[in-house]
Amino acid sequence: MNTITMESFAATREVSEQAIRRLVDDFYVKVRADPELGPVFNRAIPGDWGPHLSTMRDFWSSVMLTSGRYKGNPVAVHRRVEGIELALFERWLALFGETCRELFDDELADAFTSRAQRIAESLKLAVFYRPNRPWPPSAA
Amino acid sequence: MTYVVTDNCIKCKYMDCVEVCPVDCFYEGENMLVIHPDECIDCGVCEPECPAEAILPDTQGGLEKWLKLNAEYAPKWPNISVKRDPPPDAKEFDGVPDKLEKYFSPEPGQGD
Repeated sequence: MNTITMESFAATREVSEQAIRRLVDDFYVKVRADPELGPVFNRAIPGDWGPHLSTMRDFWSSVMLTSGRYKGNPVAVHRRVEGIELALFERWLALFGETCRELFDDELADAFTSRAQRIAESLKLAVFYRPNRPWPPSAA
Repeated sequence: MTYVVTDNCIKCKYMDCVEVCPVDCFYEGENMLVIHPDECIDCGVCEPECPAEAILPDTQGGLEKWLKLNAEYAPKWPNISVKRDPPPDAKEFDGVPDKLEKYFSPEPGQGD
């Protein structure tokens, strides 16, 4: 990757399909190499990552550009993930925020990360909330 | 956390929201839509799409009544993910106060 490409992306201020593609590609490279997230994701998506990256581009396009391209049930998908843990959501958000800040200006990075945090909170509730237990679970 | 559909949807039912929702969590009654609180992922895409400004985040105070109504009817009404024409008199009812008491129908809509 050359310096000119890095600089042009560092200045990215507008949401675009191109920006989303770059974000998704860079982010999942980090996820797959991460000691905490990697094993869970690589077990959930064995083999070809092409379809998953395409799905995630559609998802973020729907969320940030209201393109309506993604149609799915992420709650059900996350409930099925083997080895999913509450703490992994924080790790996911940390890596996602890091990637956004590498690629985008502060305002655009915030636009992505604030959405990601809200969506993560909803998914955490959907996967882990139980009416008979306190929420959020206290840190041990 | 979820978004909820509130009073001004009743008899307006513009349905712009259903096209942009990434998780298809809108359900259709005879004269309003509701959001399934267990399916909404809080992405917020629908809120600015609503011409009637009827969709609000449940973090906003005073919406308990609406959260309850959304949760009650979402499992009873059919799913809707494709927009149709809004009611011909939608504009006349946009902004009319207290539509829940005057006009709300518990009957299901046609869905997709």
